[in-house]
Amino acid sequence: MITSGILYLSNWFSLANGINYKCLVIGSSLNLAIRWHAVASWTWDAHDETCGICRMAFDGCCPDCKLPGDDCPLIWGVCNHAFHLHCILKWVNSQTSQAHCPMCRREWQFKGSE
Amino acid sequence: MTSSSASARKALSKIACNRLQKELVEWQVNPPAGFKHKVTDNLQRWVIEVTGAPGTLYANETYQLQVDFPEHYPMEAPQVIFLHPAPMHPHIYSNGHICLDILYDSWSPAMTVSSICISILSMLSSSTVKQRPEDNDRYVKNCRNGRSPKETRWWFHDDKV
Repeated sequence: MITSGILYLSNWFSLANGINYKCLVIGSSLNLAIRWHAVASWTWDAHDETCGICRMAFDGCCPDCKLPGDDCPLIWGVCNHAFHLHCILKWVNSQTSQAHCPMCRREWQFKGSE
Repeated sequence: MTSSSASARKALSKIACNRLQKELVEWQVNPPAGFKHKVTDNLQRWVIEVTGAPGTLYANETYQLQVDFPEHYPMEAPQVIFLHPAPMHPHIYSNGHICLDILYDSWSPAMTVSSICISILSMLSSSTVKQRPEDNDRYVKNCRNGRSPKETRWWFHDDKV
């Protein structure tokens, strides 16, 4: 049982998938066995706050998804513009010729795929 | 003139509906200068009043734009036309069709109704003559069966006006 607890929020830390995580740590120093509960929160490491295609928040998901996070990931182009993966795929697949970045009109290429 | 093709259009997809609702809210908070959205309960067709910018050929003149959204907006551009009477402009045909690349080949899903409106007003403002395009009669005759301007193969030859 936690008799007196300390509660603090960790710094943001990034994982390889581009998501930043933050942990809420509740701990007690009075107990012999320190017990802690971690509640993770996260945000995408994107410069804009909303997807330029669907205009939904990056911390949320595209209109076709129910849960944000790994089920509705963000993806970057070589031009460094980010979109929901599902949104940019809809755009790229709707183009008969080479698709362009919706933001800067450069040829769209997924970052890391060149 | 294009009402029949527009009413036969498929209902908006979820992403289209969602985005248009957001655009409408954004418009109400921050409408582009010179434009007034005529409120209806139809999200798929917006009628927008545009007033010519002061100091331009179209100052104090008011025109109406009709914007029809396709099922897969914003992956596909909306159809934008002037309702009768369309302004006299070298890139605007008398049937209301507008020769403007962003409405066709150069559309991007990052554009919005608001950014389209600003482009159209800028096109009006930079005009130096009030006249119809050279091929107006031929083009309008070709569109008599209510063809959408999105079916036209546009040839963009002038980026100055």
